[in-house]
Amino acid sequence: MGDQDAEARIDQALVARALLGDDKYAFAQLLRRHQGMVRAQLRRLLPDDEATVDDLAQEVFLQAWRKLDQFRGAARFSTWLYRIAYTCFLQANRRKAGTLEDTGGEHEVLPAAARTVDLQLDLERAMRRLSHAERGVLLHCVQLGLSHDEAAYVLSMPLGTVKSHATRGKAKLQNWLSAWQEIETNR
Amino acid sequence: MNEQHDSSIRALLRENFDGPVADDGFCDRVMRQLPARRRARRWQLPAGILTGLVACLWHLSSTPLIRAGWQDWMQGSISHASAIMLLAVMATSLLASWWALAEVD
Repeated sequence: MGDQDAEARIDQALVARALLGDDKYAFAQLLRRHQGMVRAQLRRLLPDDEATVDDLAQEVFLQAWRKLDQFRGAARFSTWLYRIAYTCFLQANRRKAGTLEDTGGEHEVLPAAARTVDLQLDLERAMRRLSHAERGVLLHCVQLGLSHDEAAYVLSMPLGTVKSHATRGKAKLQNWLSAWQEIETNR
Repeated sequence: MNEQHDSSIRALLRENFDGPVADDGFCDRVMRQLPARRRARRWQLPAGILTGLVACLWHLSSTPLIRAGWQDWMQGSISHASAIMLLAVMATSLLASWWALAEVD
């Protein structure tokens, strides 16, 4: 937590410098500090489409530069960027509507193979079968390490909805990957 | 879902996350595209008010209203004529300011 606070203070100082003197060097530092995770977030949201991911990531940082004076420091700078990135993703998604459809098949159990790589592949497949909202919540809460409150801010969802999507998403994954857990238990 | 399953799913999800993406020239590409930030709009408001004032006085100069209003104003009394004159000046100034700000955007 102390590290996070220190990081947040560095970000705020860089934002202040970027705003005060129109300091592009300070913004470049912010960009270097956060591009990796923002692009990782977008890659998880848009798997198999690296070109679009980088275009969107570029748009995210250009928007961040334009709207920097709107950053009030109420959320962490990284969380603010994730929110811009998620909005850009939704807009891009709306443009090519229908690419992200919610999928069903809640009771089907994915076949278990006996290798770690296969478990990873099955998890990937299972993640893609989650609803768009469940996948978004698990990505932000578990993989990007945001709190439920922060995820609610990024995804523009009520806190209760975030929590229920997280619980339901994890339950579905557990159900679909149950064969793997049986193997682990029998070892 | 029990605690153990919850933590094993969380651990699995974390393992499956590749972490931050390497830069590979991304930052340089973004920095090259960064536009200049707009300067603070300090001059637009006074310029708009001045333009509105001049425009209003020019329009009212041909009517006796401005003279009557000005005389009342100088004598320190707020008559109908001076109130109308002040309102007209204010409204035209606001319109001119709004126009100036809209032009900048």
